[in-house]
Amino acid sequence: MLSLIIKTLASFFASLFFAILFNTARKELFYCGLTGAFGWLIYMISFEFYPKVITAYFFGALGVGILSCLLAPKRRAPVTVFLVSGIIPLVPGKGMYETMYAMLFSDFESTFRHFATTLQIAGAIAIAVALPLTFMMRSSLRNGAQKKIEKK
Amino acid sequence: MDFRLIFKTALLAGEIMLRNGAETYRVEDTINRILKTTKFAVVESYVTPTGLFATLDDPSIDSITMVRRVGQRSIHMGKVEKVNNVSREYVSGQISVYEAYSRLLVIKDLEPYSRLIHILCFGIIAACFTVVFGGSPCDFLTSLIIGLILGVFHKWMESRQISKFINDIISSGMVGLLSILFTDYLPLGTDIDTIIIGCIMPLVPGLAITNAIRDTLEGDLVSGLARALEAFIIAISIAVGIAISLSLFYI
Repeated sequence: MLSLIIKTLASFFASLFFAILFNTARKELFYCGLTGAFGWLIYMISFEFYPKVITAYFFGALGVGILSCLLAPKRRAPVTVFLVSGIIPLVPGKGMYETMYAMLFSDFESTFRHFATTLQIAGAIAIAVALPLTFMMRSSLRNGAQKKIEKK
Repeated sequence: MDFRLIFKTALLAGEIMLRNGAETYRVEDTINRILKTTKFAVVESYVTPTGLFATLDDPSIDSITMVRRVGQRSIHMGKVEKVNNVSREYVSGQISVYEAYSRLLVIKDLEPYSRLIHILCFGIIAACFTVVFGGSPCDFLTSLIIGLILGVFHKWMESRQISKFINDIISSGMVGLLSILFTDYLPLGTDIDTIIIGCIMPLVPGLAITNAIRDTLEGDLVSGLARALEAFIIAISIAVGIAISLSLFYI
């Protein structure tokens, strides 16, 4: 439980400082960190209940996508701002490292296994990010933003 | 109506967004929306990650087409957001094209966060990710130090205008060497794998990956593929750098 909180906090700050690296405007920084922490929290909870890496990554990325889509019209910023920094903790850096490490020792069986897992994770993230965007962006954000402007 | 200025405004908006890490479909969308305010018959734009074309034609004018090549790309989400707001306000009629153009010129020259802050970011990101991937407090400290050194080095190489891929290879190679130094020869770090994974996180191509996904989903296959290739090559660069440094000591 304690490690859950510490890791969530760490991913919050990691995403927040990544947002600074991307030169995000100061007023959005907190929300960028929030997106990253939320995604990683869901990843860990999902992994706790169903210990399959790929589903956990899928739900984590889904959380990031949904939260970004909700934040974008609220903060009146493009979804990309939140999505890009929020997805960072889920980028399979570990998988890439393990693939490289196995290859270094000419262990091609594990090289292939790690590489395949990394690709699967990347695919899962891609699909998970896509889902909320296709469903929510079209209807709510674009019309919502347009209506807001018309109201003014 | 000054359609030439509208055209210039649209192109400038597109160029700023493309240079600073917006998805290509968003750039196309912005250019088209601004150009449509002329109510001309033909409004067309084609954007790739390395350049953009836009054309404007009507029976009443000679058609104009312009090409902008975008070589140097950096990431500045603040600019993307601001251009987005300006174009939205202009399209909805809240501001005139003159104001939109002058505001875009200001946005174009916005400064990024200072180099010192960026270097600090490298350190903190590396340290935080080491914790996220299960590192101990000792590993946290080690990653912080390596991350800061990485930040200084990466920014220095960037200011010398060395190709990003070469920069990534050399920087990650340095991360590998420093991690070995700090864990094997200095009594500081404990888990070298976690430290290395944490420390290479500031280099991972997060923006390229996200934009590749989004561009592909919008049906912009050329841009999606280009960005996916970019992400893949950056990943390979990092892996090669780490592999070289590890192989010096462990094989």
